[in-house]
Amino acid sequence: MSEMRDMIVDVVERMLKEKVDKDLVDTVEQGHWAPELWDLFKENGMTAVAITEENGGTGGDIEDLLNIVRLTGKYAAPIPFTETTFANYLLEFTNLQVIEDLATYMLCPDQAFTLEDGQLTGEAIHVPWARHTKHLVTLARSKDGTHLVEIDLSQAEIKEGMNLAGEPRDTVIFHHATTSQVSAMLSPDKMHTITTLHTAFQLALMTGAIDKINDLTVQYTKEREQFGRPIHRFQLVQQHIVHLAGETAIALAAFNNVTEALLTNNQNSEVAYAHIRFEEIIQAVTTIAHQVHAAIGTTHEHSLHQFTRRLWSWRDEGTSTSYWTNLVATQLLESGDSLWEYLTSFSKSSPLLKVEG
Amino acid sequence: MFHLPTVQFTQEQEQFRLDVRTFLQNELAKGTFTSKCDSWLSGDDPEFSKLIGQKGWIGLTWPKKYGGQERSTIDRYILTEEFLAIGAPVAAHWFADRQTGPLLLRYGTEEQREYFLPKIVKGECYFGIGLSEPNSGSDLASVSTRAEKVEGGWIVNGQKIWTSNAHLCHYMVTLVRTSPFDGKSKHAGLSQLIVDLQAEGVTVVPIKFLTGEHHYNEVFFENVFVPDNMVVGEIGNGWAQGLAELAFERSGPERILSTFPLIDELIQELKRQNNFEGLKQASKVVARLWSLRNMSIGVAQLLESGNGEDVSIPAALVKALGTKFEQSIPEITRLIVQTYPTLDAHRKIDRFMAESILHAPGFTIRGGTSEVLYGVVAKGVIAQ
Repeated sequence: MSEMRDMIVDVVERMLKEKVDKDLVDTVEQGHWAPELWDLFKENGMTAVAITEENGGTGGDIEDLLNIVRLTGKYAAPIPFTETTFANYLLEFTNLQVIEDLATYMLCPDQAFTLEDGQLTGEAIHVPWARHTKHLVTLARSKDGTHLVEIDLSQAEIKEGMNLAGEPRDTVIFHHATTSQVSAMLSPDKMHTITTLHTAFQLALMTGAIDKINDLTVQYTKEREQFGRPIHRFQLVQQHIVHLAGETAIALAAFNNVTEALLTNNQNSEVAYAHIRFEEIIQAVTTIAHQVHAAIGTTHEHSLHQFTRRLWSWRDEGTSTSYWTNLVATQLLESGDSLWEYLTSFSKSSPLLKVEG
Repeated sequence: MFHLPTVQFTQEQEQFRLDVRTFLQNELAKGTFTSKCDSWLSGDDPEFSKLIGQKGWIGLTWPKKYGGQERSTIDRYILTEEFLAIGAPVAAHWFADRQTGPLLLRYGTEEQREYFLPKIVKGECYFGIGLSEPNSGSDLASVSTRAEKVEGGWIVNGQKIWTSNAHLCHYMVTLVRTSPFDGKSKHAGLSQLIVDLQAEGVTVVPIKFLTGEHHYNEVFFENVFVPDNMVVGEIGNGWAQGLAELAFERSGPERILSTFPLIDELIQELKRQNNFEGLKQASKVVARLWSLRNMSIGVAQLLESGNGEDVSIPAALVKALGTKFEQSIPEITRLIVQTYPTLDAHRKIDRFMAESILHAPGFTIRGGTSEVLYGVVAKGVIAQ
């Protein structure tokens, strides 16, 4: 990581450590809003990282932003940070105007709205934080194809809902609502890039939660005593610790390699491999952590569930694993190379981060 | 948690990879060798080792004055991957290249380096690693082979077991007890000696592997004289020296790719069958391989930067995870495609399956059993 990034990561982690505790997460899970935390992120310029300065951003690149997202996942920060920053990242990516206010997105292709004469119609379920945000960035189908649109949420009918972790996931309905901005038609390549970026943000959040679950679990094995000694002294518990450490280390390494790949445009299947692998990681990590924490981990008293419930939700929000296994299988089938050649091929340029003019 | 660095290969490194690959593909086409699974352990071919030596591909990272190329650990990583991916017979020189060279560079005398390293680099001098003994297994502190001081050297008596390729090797770096066993300090009094395997009093007895191949050996020492100049490092420091060797041994690509030729052939077979469902299942294998490789390269990068960071814990973790992965490959393969595992099959996938099934139980044992590695990792994680 760059020195600059180390610094940003340090600042954000300090902010989160100080401001986010179990009570705050609980409160927001009850449907409240955390204005102080949001304002702090905004005042520090964190909500405009990875947006170019000419568009009002604070600079930094996508790796910086993804590392902040990772930390918000690690602390279960109950604010729409990913939503606002990624919505803006997409607006800039598709040559639209970035916005300063709270924003969210819905990007699942099966939930695209209909666009006719600049008016948006349709219904989307499971839209994150819609009730608390002002703008929605979403996909819309016109007679020409699929576009990215930005629309003011004050025109929407919103039905409140939540995911397994109590995070706001609302139903948003538009009847001939007026869009604020509409992108040019998105090519299949560009759609794939948006999917890739979206998944990278999900991976960042999940990496943070996995890291935290590992910390909580290791800590617990040191504190909890049974049969007269801390439970980490038992070999069978040690096996759990090692398995957990292994999966966590793999998640962290995969995340670092994904961000690196996005920056260097080196390989665009890294996100696919990581997402496929995260399926196994999440299953292992949540199972082990709960087993080691035993009864207390199944209660609301302990904070473990704030992270395991988020993982169980986040893994299904966004692009499904089957999309990525299909992609890899297709690449393998179509590639004339051996598997080894395919895996080690390089300088495959990806259009990922180029803002097209 | 462990924060392993990421590595982006440079243009030169990518070119090097292609050069190595082209050479190996040409030699394979000429019939110089036959691909096999687990080739780093059971693919012995001294002629091939000499050929590799001529290319300058043994001791790649070592100083030029001993015949090395002074290239980076990452270059060596690339080279190693290419050998394993194609299943080239590199076992003869493997242990000298991986362990003995680095050991001598770190602890050896100038005389030892000048004598051994240039020979190793040419692919003409092979080393065995003399650690395990009957009943010692992973508990190396229990070794009882002893060396007694005499005029001008040491007299060795005892027995080693599970020594890879001892029947082909010229020498063995042997861990011996140079002072009496002290129950309170089990790691003290151990030393490393270079034993000439042709010396009087040395007997090498084969142990046959599940495939029927001769790979492991028992080595007996009966009053074997080892001159003073064949002591590696300090007398009594053998334990610490041995531990340093392990980081190099543990986390390399050979802990992930032993069964790679089988995965490669599995994908080929699925492509021939146009089996999309099978390829979807195989994509999980690709994802696992990718994630482990990232970690393994990360450890290699830490070894390269050598800024004193302790890599023994992530290295142990990579070994435990990597060997479990390579061990899983034949089981995954047989659930995706129909195979008839046979050692002398003419269909490659059947032969690779047979080699993988019969070698797989050893992956999680050799170089430290998973259980011992788990102990190392658990202690390290708890101490963090």
